[in-house]
Amino acid sequence: GGGGGGGGRGEEGGEEDLSDSEDSVFSGLEDSGSDSEEEEEEEGGGGGGGREEFCEVLCAVQDIRNTVGNVPMEWYRDFPHLGYDLDGRKIYKPIRSQDELDHFLDKMENPDYWRTVHDKQTGSDITLSEEQVALVRRLQSGRFGDVDFNEYQPTVEYFSRDVMLHPVTNRPADKRSFIPSLIEKEKVSKLVHAIKMGWIKPRRVEDDSRGRYYDLWASEDSSILARHKMHLPAPKIPLPGHQESYNPPPEFLFNEEERALWEQQDAADRKLPFVPRKFSSLRSVPAFPRFVHERFERCLDLYLCPRQRKMRVNVDPEDLIPKLPKPRDLQPFPTTQSLVYRGHSGLIRSISVSPTGQWLASGSDDGSVRFWEVCSSRCLKTVQVGGAVRSVTWNPNTAVCLLAVALDSRVLLLSPSLADRQVVSASELLLSDKEGAEPVQGAESLVTWSEAEGEELNEGIRLKIQHPKAVHQVAWHAKGDYLASVMPDHSSHLQVLIHQVSRRRSQNPFRRNKGLVQRVSFHPLRPYFFVATQRSVRIYNLLKQEMTKKLQANAKWISSMAVHPGGDHVICGSYDCRLSWFDLDLSTKPYRMLRHHKKAVRGVAYHRFYPLFASASDDGSVIVCHGTVYNDLLQNPLIVPVKVLRGHAVSQDLGVLDVTFHPSQPWVFSSGADATIRLYT
Amino acid sequence: MSQLQARFFTENKRYAVDDVPFSIPAASEVQDLSHVINTLLQAKNESHKQVEFDFLVRGQFLRTSLSSHMETEGISTEEVVEIEYVERIAAPEPEECMMHDDWISSVDADTEWILTGSYDKTARIWSTEGKAVMTVAGHKDVVKDVAWVKRDGLTSLLLTASLDQTVLLWEWNSERNKVKARHCCRGHTGSVDTIATDPTGSKFCSGSWDKMLKIWSAVPTEEADEVEEPPDRPRKKQKTEQLGLTRTPLMTLSGHSEAVSSVLWCDSEEVCSASWDHTIRIWDTESGTMKTTLTGSKVFNCISYSPLCRRLASGSTDRHIRLWDPRTKDGSLVLLSLTSHTGWVTAVKWAPSHEHQLVSGSLDNLVKLWDTRSCKAPLYDLAAHEDKVFCVDWTESGLMLSGGADNKLYTYRYSACQTDAGA
Repeated sequence: GGGGGGGGRGEEGGEEDLSDSEDSVFSGLEDSGSDSEEEEEEEGGGGGGGREEFCEVLCAVQDIRNTVGNVPMEWYRDFPHLGYDLDGRKIYKPIRSQDELDHFLDKMENPDYWRTVHDKQTGSDITLSEEQVALVRRLQSGRFGDVDFNEYQPTVEYFSRDVMLHPVTNRPADKRSFIPSLIEKEKVSKLVHAIKMGWIKPRRVEDDSRGRYYDLWASEDSSILARHKMHLPAPKIPLPGHQESYNPPPEFLFNEEERALWEQQDAADRKLPFVPRKFSSLRSVPAFPRFVHERFERCLDLYLCPRQRKMRVNVDPEDLIPKLPKPRDLQPFPTTQSLVYRGHSGLIRSISVSPTGQWLASGSDDGSVRFWEVCSSRCLKTVQVGGAVRSVTWNPNTAVCLLAVALDSRVLLLSPSLADRQVVSASELLLSDKEGAEPVQGAESLVTWSEAEGEELNEGIRLKIQHPKAVHQVAWHAKGDYLASVMPDHSSHLQVLIHQVSRRRSQNPFRRNKGLVQRVSFHPLRPYFFVATQRSVRIYNLLKQEMTKKLQANAKWISSMAVHPGGDHVICGSYDCRLSWFDLDLSTKPYRMLRHHKKAVRGVAYHRFYPLFASASDDGSVIVCHGTVYNDLLQNPLIVPVKVLRGHAVSQDLGVLDVTFHPSQPWVFSSGADATIRLYT
Repeated sequence: MSQLQARFFTENKRYAVDDVPFSIPAASEVQDLSHVINTLLQAKNESHKQVEFDFLVRGQFLRTSLSSHMETEGISTEEVVEIEYVERIAAPEPEECMMHDDWISSVDADTEWILTGSYDKTARIWSTEGKAVMTVAGHKDVVKDVAWVKRDGLTSLLLTASLDQTVLLWEWNSERNKVKARHCCRGHTGSVDTIATDPTGSKFCSGSWDKMLKIWSAVPTEEADEVEEPPDRPRKKQKTEQLGLTRTPLMTLSGHSEAVSSVLWCDSEEVCSASWDHTIRIWDTESGTMKTTLTGSKVFNCISYSPLCRRLASGSTDRHIRLWDPRTKDGSLVLLSLTSHTGWVTAVKWAPSHEHQLVSGSLDNLVKLWDTRSCKAPLYDLAAHEDKVFCVDWTESGLMLSGGADNKLYTYRYSACQTDAGA
């Protein structure tokens, strides 16, 4: 067998597998050899075991002679006997009483004295045999008791750490592995001859270049190809498992519970579409009753299966929630109600803080405008204007101290003289400078400018601008000279008027107004003008006199609007509870819609330099939001509601009507239908 | 742990007990400890009467049981605890209630007279017994702050600062009960919210909404300072308005970026001012330069300085009273926060004769008496006011005063101050 293997290796030396198998064969042989050695060893061991047994038998025989067992013989010192034999008879001590002299004589005379030992159990002397003496000697010298036992047997290292070329056998290769085989030579020459004779022809190479196969889709549109790449193979039928077997292992068979469950479950929910059953033989398996049904369903599967790759993403729902910073990190913002300004008897529609931050003006339905000291909630001045006040606005210019008040169809300019004398005189100068210099030349005499007299003059009212219709809002330009007023009216084109206070001129900037104008505002820095109608905010360039942008608020009815002091962002509150945040550079659609209020939003406000804006709603709450816009255009603006401020009581379905920020502190004022103004800090 | 080793000691020689450790129950509270001390004192001295004591463990008042206090303060219970005891500070007793016609904006009291400023544009002088003595009328707007300058026998100098941007220096003779406006200090372009006279009574400093601090001479003279008048100003109007001789500031200190809310003199050359721009600044009045800036995070409403403990106490809009060390160079370290008010702290005043106690008033209608050794809770809440408290004061004679938006000025007699001050 080894020779044949060697020959095989000579012929197919390149194939590693074969040589490996040869090795394994050889090692197997070697193994068997070692096995036989082990057997021999075992035999030897068996022999040793036999000897031990013999010893034990000897001991047993000795034990049998005295049945007292393994007890100290001193116990029998005072008795004439040493114990009892098997029959229960006493074994008597030998009568002799050897003294030292007997011992000496015995030592001198008995040649076997040195190998005579005294057996305490029987009291007799035993002379050891030669083998026993030899055994004792060996044991005394620390050797094994067995003579034949070789304690220095050579170690058989079955697995050596040395790497060997031919690890198992050292046998040289056969000579015939170097000599060409005659039989093979004969075969090869036959084949060569056959090829020469043309009996064997080389395999014909198939020529594919003719195009037996071609790209069916080559002429197709690339989009179809692209779609084709997304082809999904039909779902495969799962291979039959043990359950399908006619004789499944018992663990696959249903027990009572599983069967009940299977029967209860809806057909679509079942894990298995059938109940595994056991038959004694394949012959007794009946026909599959649902075969046609199943085939039909399979066809349905193939026909109706979605052929679209579905990107399934396993995401933790927590990760999908945007990472919002903690409100604590966004401080400062108003958190608690600090002061309540009481005094009005009607709902307060509008409030405004003086640009210095010392005074607060409020206009109420009780027909008065009140001036409050911010830090003490003290009402320092009350001006009866005789009509429900719709809007109050401080002049943003710090060099003058003026308040514009809108009520009914009038706009009043008040000089509350709550500032330095020079400022007061400057504002008086602004109002009275053009007295008579330019006669009233209002826009097509729609507007009448008139000076206050008598009692009104004492109260601080300086100028009255009579409008043709009810004025709802007034808004100052940042420079403090121009004033815009809003008269919402569906039918008219005269809804917005811009007044110049220093020259007492009014003009109608728009020939046509689309929609009902709700709010207007000047751009704080550039010559733009914001007009909020019901659905949208239009931005007009005042220099070019054209519309530059139209913001779609996605709201049904805009109620309020505020322009960021930087002029890049606009917020709009609407009666359908929404707050839209626009980035003017980004889009005309709101960047963010905030729906935190439960009722109509009545007022919105921006802080002058803190990144805060607030919205007031009829649900009695003011929501303060943090809105940071980063210089890095890639980073999205951060708009986070930080605080809901409550305190206002809701009366007649009206809650908070106006909201405004303190110009220098992160404080917010809100005025409500409960006739109070509240300061949150 | 049911028993603790404690050694009691006190500064007050009258109540000294033996300096030996006692084993006391760990759960014992102030009453129990007080009882222990009283028993000890009685054993020593038959004539001893029961005294309520308060206990300090490592400088903090004991307010809960001893074991829980030591647990929260992190004091080891293995060693002998040193417990200091002081006589229990008696509650301030309400004395007088002085009705005003309008809100009280400010109060300044000395040992004899009380001066209050009111929103009815007048200042009033009261005796400490609560008798209205004098009404000082002259301002065209709300009086925001008042201050005594000097008393020379029967003649007193006093100051009133008003929203009409002026400070008036008045001379009041208590015998004839005549008041005369000596000087009208013009220069501020905003309402003057705060004034303070220097310790010598020769100068005073005013802080205004126009972000400026101005230092004026408080010595009355017979000549008016030159004022640059705007040329177009009508002359006759000025004459009618004039009340007292016009005075111009000696020095203007500018640096605040918001309104100045409170000003005081640390010593004769140092002025300290608190502002709405979240800073407290300390100025050198000799050179007119700023020395230190303490930066907070909220608007400061009021400050007070105690020369005894050399600490500044500030009241903010975030309901905290904070203690500062004005000498620190970095200047933004809060030493201690006293938190119990629920509204803006509008007034704060150190005790003039006790280094640990201060009184504060807040928009939550409460006046609180604090001990800095018990920063968790005030010693006493004085809940007399029915509306916002705007001002508090504390005289050297142990009288505490508070006034507010309910038009009432309350005074409280604070007796324990004197006995404890010796401790």
